[in-house]
Amino acid sequence: MTTRIDDIAPTGLGRLYRGQTAVDFYGRRRIGLIVAAVAVVLTIGSLLLQGLNLGLDFEGGDAWDVPASETFGVEDAEVVLVDNGISTTSARIQRRTSELNDLITVQTPVLEREVALQVTEDFADAAGVTVDDINFSFTSSTWGSDITEAAVRALIIFLVIVSIFISIRFEWRMALAALTAMAHDVLITVGVYSLFQFEVTPATVVAFLTILGYSLYDTIVVFDRVRENEGKYASRRMPYEDIVNISMNQVMMRSINTSISSILPVISLLLIGSGILGAVTLREFALALLVGMLSGVYSSIFVAAPLLATLKSNTATRKSRRTHRLTGDALRAEVVGAGLTGRVRPGTADGSSAAEVDDPTPDDEQPAEPVAATTAAVSKGADRLLTHPPRPRKKKRR
Amino acid sequence: MRRRLWISLVGTVLIVLGALIGNLATGNTPVLGLDLQGGVSVILQPVEPATEDDLLVIRDLIRSELEARGIAEPDVRVQGDVIVVDLPGVRDQQEALDAVDVSGVVELRPVLDASACAPLDPTAVPPGGSILGDELLLDGTEIIDDPTTDSTVTDSTVTEGTGLDEPQGFANPIASPDTTVPTDDSAPDDTATTDSTIPDLSEIVGEPSVPGAELLPSRDGPPVCVGPVAGTGEVFERGSAELTSQQGWGVAVELRGDGQSVWNNLATQCFNTTPACPSTVPGLRGQIAIVLDSVVVSAPQVNQPNFTDVVAITGNFTRGEADDLASVLNRGAFPVEVEAQEARTVSASAGSESLQAAVIAGLIGLGLVLTFLVSYYRWIALVVIGGIAVWAAMVFSVASLVSGWTNYSLSLAGVTGIIVAIGVTVDSYVVFFERMKDELRNGRTLRNAGPRSFQMTWRTIWTADLVSIIGAAILFWLSVGSVRGFALFLGITTACDLLVCYFFTRPAVILLSRSKFMIGRKAFGLEVAK
Repeated sequence: MTTRIDDIAPTGLGRLYRGQTAVDFYGRRRIGLIVAAVAVVLTIGSLLLQGLNLGLDFEGGDAWDVPASETFGVEDAEVVLVDNGISTTSARIQRRTSELNDLITVQTPVLEREVALQVTEDFADAAGVTVDDINFSFTSSTWGSDITEAAVRALIIFLVIVSIFISIRFEWRMALAALTAMAHDVLITVGVYSLFQFEVTPATVVAFLTILGYSLYDTIVVFDRVRENEGKYASRRMPYEDIVNISMNQVMMRSINTSISSILPVISLLLIGSGILGAVTLREFALALLVGMLSGVYSSIFVAAPLLATLKSNTATRKSRRTHRLTGDALRAEVVGAGLTGRVRPGTADGSSAAEVDDPTPDDEQPAEPVAATTAAVSKGADRLLTHPPRPRKKKRR
Repeated sequence: MRRRLWISLVGTVLIVLGALIGNLATGNTPVLGLDLQGGVSVILQPVEPATEDDLLVIRDLIRSELEARGIAEPDVRVQGDVIVVDLPGVRDQQEALDAVDVSGVVELRPVLDASACAPLDPTAVPPGGSILGDELLLDGTEIIDDPTTDSTVTDSTVTEGTGLDEPQGFANPIASPDTTVPTDDSAPDDTATTDSTIPDLSEIVGEPSVPGAELLPSRDGPPVCVGPVAGTGEVFERGSAELTSQQGWGVAVELRGDGQSVWNNLATQCFNTTPACPSTVPGLRGQIAIVLDSVVVSAPQVNQPNFTDVVAITGNFTRGEADDLASVLNRGAFPVEVEAQEARTVSASAGSESLQAAVIAGLIGLGLVLTFLVSYYRWIALVVIGGIAVWAAMVFSVASLVSGWTNYSLSLAGVTGIIVAIGVTVDSYVVFFERMKDELRNGRTLRNAGPRSFQMTWRTIWTADLVSIIGAAILFWLSVGSVRGFALFLGITTACDLLVCYFFTRPAVILLSRSKFMIGRKAFGLEVAK
C-alpha cells in the first residue's frame, strides 16, 4: 500500500520529505528581506570602501622576461615570487619559446619599485644571468574598455529581453521580482570578492555571469509553480499570499534537492580541487560560486516570492473573500492536496473516500494533539481534491 | 506510443554514442584555453616610435580584428613598447604569424593620371609607355561604359551619407568587379593589351614626374597611379564603417571631428578636379584611392565637395567586397603600423594540474550528487545516472565539434562552468521526480504518474532553460572575449539538457514506470504497488 495523503509525518524532517510542510513564508517575509537587505548593504559598503581587487588582466602590471635554462624554469620563478612575498595566484608565469630565444615570462600586478627591483635581482641570481639580461617592463591590461562596453551592452539587452519573455510567459511583476532577486545574488557574489579582496580576473566575470544565469533559472522554476497554482485556485479567490505560501512549501523539497545537487560539485571543487589537489586558482572561483548559488536559492524563496506577493496584493483587481492568511494546518491541507493535476485513483475518488480518509491510519503511531488536528484539517482539503480538482471558472462569474 | 518511446530512447543513446566514438576515434577533443594548454604568442613591434595611448588603441583594434576573423579569446596586451598577442588553440607558429597579420595603415591618396607616374627622364620610358598609360585608363572608361555595366557611372559616387535615402554612390571604376571582367567580350583585345603592359609599367624605375606619385597595384584591377598621401584612415571614426544595402551593397563610415577637414580638403580638390586630383577618366570627377599596405583597395569618385559626419561609398560591390572595404576602413584607424617580430610557443599558465584537479573534483562531485540522488529517489534514480552520462557525452561531442569549427577554447573558467551546469541539469530530474512523488503520494499509480508529471515538468524546464539559452545567444552575439566563450558553453550545456530531458528522460521514466521491473521495488521512498 502506498503512503496515503492523510498520513502527516510526525517529525518535521518527515513532513519535509513527504512535502507536507506548512511554513508561513509570507508571514516571515520581513526577516527574509531584512537579511537580504543587510547583505546587500554590506556589499555596497565594501564596494565603496575597498572596491574590487582587479587583477592583471584589468589593471596591467609588471612583466619580466627571464632567459630560461636547465636550472631556471617556471617552478623556480614561482619560488622567487614566493620568497618576495608575492602571491602566485595573482601572477602569471609562462614559458615562451621560439627558435631565437627561450624565456620565462612573469607577470604580476604592479609592485612597489623597490620590490620590483629586488625581484629582478633575484630572478637574475636564480637564472644565473646578469640583471641586464632580464627585460623588465610594464604590461598593459588585456581587458580593454571596449570589452566591458560590449559585455555591459549585451547584458542590458539580455535583461530587457528576459523581462519581456517573463512578462509574456508569466507577468511583469514576476519579471520584476526575478530580476531583483538576480541583482541581489550577483551583488552578493561580487561582495564576497570585495570583502575578502580576492583578485578579479576574466574568469571571475564568468563566475558572476554563471550566478546570474543560475539565479534566474532557480527563480523561474519557483515562479512556474506559483503560476500553476494561480490557475488552480482561480475559482476560489485565494489571497495571493496564500498561493505564494502554498507554492513555496510545495517546491521546498525540490529547491533543497537541487541546491544540494548543485552545491556538492562546487564544494568538491573547493575542498578536493583546491584543498587536497592544491589547484589554488580554483579556490576563489569555487568560493564565489558557492556563495552565489546559496544566495540564488535563498533569494528565490525569501526575496523573489515575498516581493511578488507584495506586488500582487496591492493590485485592486484581486479581491479575496478572506482577509486573513492561511497558516498552520489549513495551509498544510492546501500544500498537500494541490499537488495533483487531474482525476485521482478511482478507488478513492468515489463516495467511499470520505470515510476512508477520516480514519486515522493505524500503522502510523500518532503523537497526541497537534497531528490529530492536522489529520482532520488535511482530510477536509484532501476530501475535496480527491474527487474532482476544481476547474478554473470563467472570469465573468461574480 | 510505446514503440515511439523506445525509438526515442534508443535513438538518442545510439546517436550520442556514435558522436562520442566518432570524436574519440578522430582525436577531436575540445581545444583548451591559454591557461590550460598554452598556445602561440606573437610579438608585434611598431615600426616607428609610438605613444602608450597609440599602443593601447592598437591593442583594442587587433583584438577586435582577430575576433572578427573568428579567432576566439586572444589575449592581447602592451608589454613595454611591443604588443604581445597570445592565441589559444594555435599550435603552429607560422599559422599564428599569419593570423595576426592585421598590421597596416590605410592611406588616402588622390588618383592621378598615369602619366604622372611616368619617369621624368624620357629615355627611361619604354616605347609608348606614357601613351599606354593613357590607354590603360581609357580602357577603364570603355569597360565602365560597356552596356553590360551601364549603371556604373551613375552609381559610382561618393555622397554625404547623412540621409541614407538620398541617391548615393561612390565611383569605384578601378576596383569594382565589373572593370576587371576578363570575359567581357566587348573589349577582349583591350584587356589583353592592358594585361601585357602592366608588368612593363610597374617595372619602370625612376623618379615620377609628380613628386610623391606612385604606381600601386590594386586589389582586383590594373595598377593605379596615385598622388602623395593626403590623409590616413584616422580621418574615420574608429570601427564606424558599416555595410549598407540600399541600392546594392555599400559602406557607410563616419568622419571624426578632426578628420573632417582633412577629408574635405581632399574631397574638394577631387570634386573640382584640380591638378592635385585630376579627372583621370573623361566625364568623371577625381577619385580618392583608399590604400592599404600599398595596395589600392578602392578608388571611388568624389561626388560632392563637402561631407559632414558620414561618407557613403557605393558601387557595384558584392556583399563580400563591401564587407572587405568596411573592415579595411575600420582597420585604417591604426595610428602606427606594427610588424610581427617573432612567434613564441607559450606554456599553460594554470598548468595541467589545475585541469586535472578540476576534472577530478568535478567527477567526485558528480559521484556525490549521484549517490545523494540514488539514496533519495532509489530505483528511479537509474534514469538520472543514464541521463547524466548521455548529457556528458553529448556536451563533450558538441564542444569538440564547435571548438573544431570556431576555435573557441575551453578555459579553466569554462570547465568549472560545466561543473556548475551539472546542478542545473540535475534540477530537471529533481523537478520531475518531486512532481511524480506528489502524484504518487496522492494515490496515483506510478504508471499513470509518469506521463502526467512530465507534462508539467516539461513546461517548467523549457521556460527556465529558454531564459538561459536566450541569455547565451545574446551574450554570444553581442559580447567579445571570455564572456563570449562563457555564453557558448552555457548555450551548449543548456541545449543538451533540454534535448536529453525530452528525448531520453521522458521515454526512460515513462517506460520504467510501466515496466514490471519497478514492481516491488522502492522509488521515491515509496514501494511501488501492484
